[in-house]
Amino acid sequence: MVQKNIEDFINEINGSIGKNKIITDDLILKLYSKEPSGLVGKISAVIFPENKDDISKILSSAYKYEVNIYPQGSSSSLSGNAVPLKDGVIVSFERMNRIKEVNTTDNIAIVEPGIRIDELNLFLEKSNYMFPIDPASQSVATIGGAINNGAGGLKGAKYGTMKDWVNGMEIALPDENGTRLFLGCMTVKCRKGYDLARLIIGSEGTLALVTEAVLRITPIPESIVTSLALFDNLDDLLDSFIEMKTSGIQPYIAEFMDNKTVEIASKGIDINFDANGNMLLLSIDTTKESSERMKKYLENLFKKHNANKIITSLNQQEAEELGLFKIRRNLFAAQVSMGYSLYGNGKKLQVFIEDIVVPPSKIKLAINKVREVSENYGLPVTIGGHIGDGNIHPSVVYDITDENMKNKVVSWYKDVMKIALDLNGSISAEHGIGLLKKDGLIMEMNHYNSLKEINIMKSIKSLFDPKGILNPGKVL
Amino acid sequence: MKVNIKSLYDEVNRCVYCGFCEAVCPTINLGPHRGYGPRGRVNLIKDFIENKKITTEFLASVFSCLLCDACLIVCPAKIDTGRIVRDVRSIIRNEYKSSINEKITIRER
Repeated sequence: MVQKNIEDFINEINGSIGKNKIITDDLILKLYSKEPSGLVGKISAVIFPENKDDISKILSSAYKYEVNIYPQGSSSSLSGNAVPLKDGVIVSFERMNRIKEVNTTDNIAIVEPGIRIDELNLFLEKSNYMFPIDPASQSVATIGGAINNGAGGLKGAKYGTMKDWVNGMEIALPDENGTRLFLGCMTVKCRKGYDLARLIIGSEGTLALVTEAVLRITPIPESIVTSLALFDNLDDLLDSFIEMKTSGIQPYIAEFMDNKTVEIASKGIDINFDANGNMLLLSIDTTKESSERMKKYLENLFKKHNANKIITSLNQQEAEELGLFKIRRNLFAAQVSMGYSLYGNGKKLQVFIEDIVVPPSKIKLAINKVREVSENYGLPVTIGGHIGDGNIHPSVVYDITDENMKNKVVSWYKDVMKIALDLNGSISAEHGIGLLKKDGLIMEMNHYNSLKEINIMKSIKSLFDPKGILNPGKVL
Repeated sequence: MKVNIKSLYDEVNRCVYCGFCEAVCPTINLGPHRGYGPRGRVNLIKDFIENKKITTEFLASVFSCLLCDACLIVCPAKIDTGRIVRDVRSIIRNEYKSSINEKITIRER
């Protein structure tokens, strides 16, 4: 049964923003209460604002009736960030997906939060520009979701994460009027007191709702040399990567997969080479004049470190023709199909993706340690990730009905986070805390003797959201 | 041909909820909610098999699919939503006869 305050809230919203923006059908509500982490919640309505005024009205009424609000982009988050824990309503941004302005002189794009990253990039490509944050879910991940999760991606080594690519944003607060504020600036350089824009990035919808964002954009590089190298010995691969980083080359993309992961991800895809061993996929942005030189550098480097196969392309078109990205792109599908070949077709499986980060100089230690721990647990773990910025994603696929295995996975998850902390790293690089990493956050604060940070964060939360109605139960 | 409900259920149960299919679906941005996309269709069909409940929104979801198969190409679990939708349409038509036609209301945003 719908609680009285929620019923009153829905009635008021029906009058203020219009009935065709609210859905209460039980079956449809279920579709908005899940996410790929496997977590499921429960809500009383989904609301689809179409403009900023709608959002202010929703927040104002939610404040009045003390109704929990769960903001949602495309529900592709992996840490339980968008799942409604307690009763309340979801605010889905799928109808606020306009690109309002692109200015290549100022290097900015002004967008609504519901635009998908890929859609934005398709539009920017016409001007030879791009928005460089590219999580694996970029085809569906929205800008609003990426801001709130502090997302990163394949190009993280060169371009960092969302915190580096948002100049400013408009937010709406959960108060009497749904007050809207403009945080940050239109420009990259900005000294407007405390940096509240950066505070919202990664806040997972717990502080305010983002109604519009001023994003930085950048020209697409003139030329990109890509090399796929396979190594029998994992240490050789890691040594070649460390030598390249030490020599001052900053990769555009640096992806890694261990041999077991390469074996499953190269099955069933159309490639013209045998993929055996641990894979390093490296892209470097160059000019047309220097492409050949960079190609030779990479080939010599990988040869020196005993690569069993090296395939290099001089530009992106050639990389696509050679199929250099196919194994990487097939990773998620391969993890899912590996699960079915292990446990059988009728099972309900969960792919659990870790997200630790260590300083790149410690990546060799981290990967070897994760391998050792995973072997001790006897779990089917695949290891891959964005080696360029020290972010690795050990992943396990398991049958969620098998309690014994589930307990093992939870314990493994904690051990993997501990490996990151022992190497001066962090428990989450780009997926966020959500529900699944709340224990990990405390573990990290304790590790760095910084537990008071939690109290400061709680104080900030209550300043922005005094009634605690925005995405309650997440992060802290 | 009679639809094998068990294998149909196993297939929809494979959905990992990533939503990659929604990026290529031609109907999701026209409809009022996620049920007008493949992720929604597959999970509503799962619910239908479990609970045998037919609602207006369920019918709109199943009958708004264009059967273009774009979602099959990007699905990591290789779920053949187009074929599943065809199967479910035939189940609905066989079991609920022609009266169902009057209940199909496909809405725009």
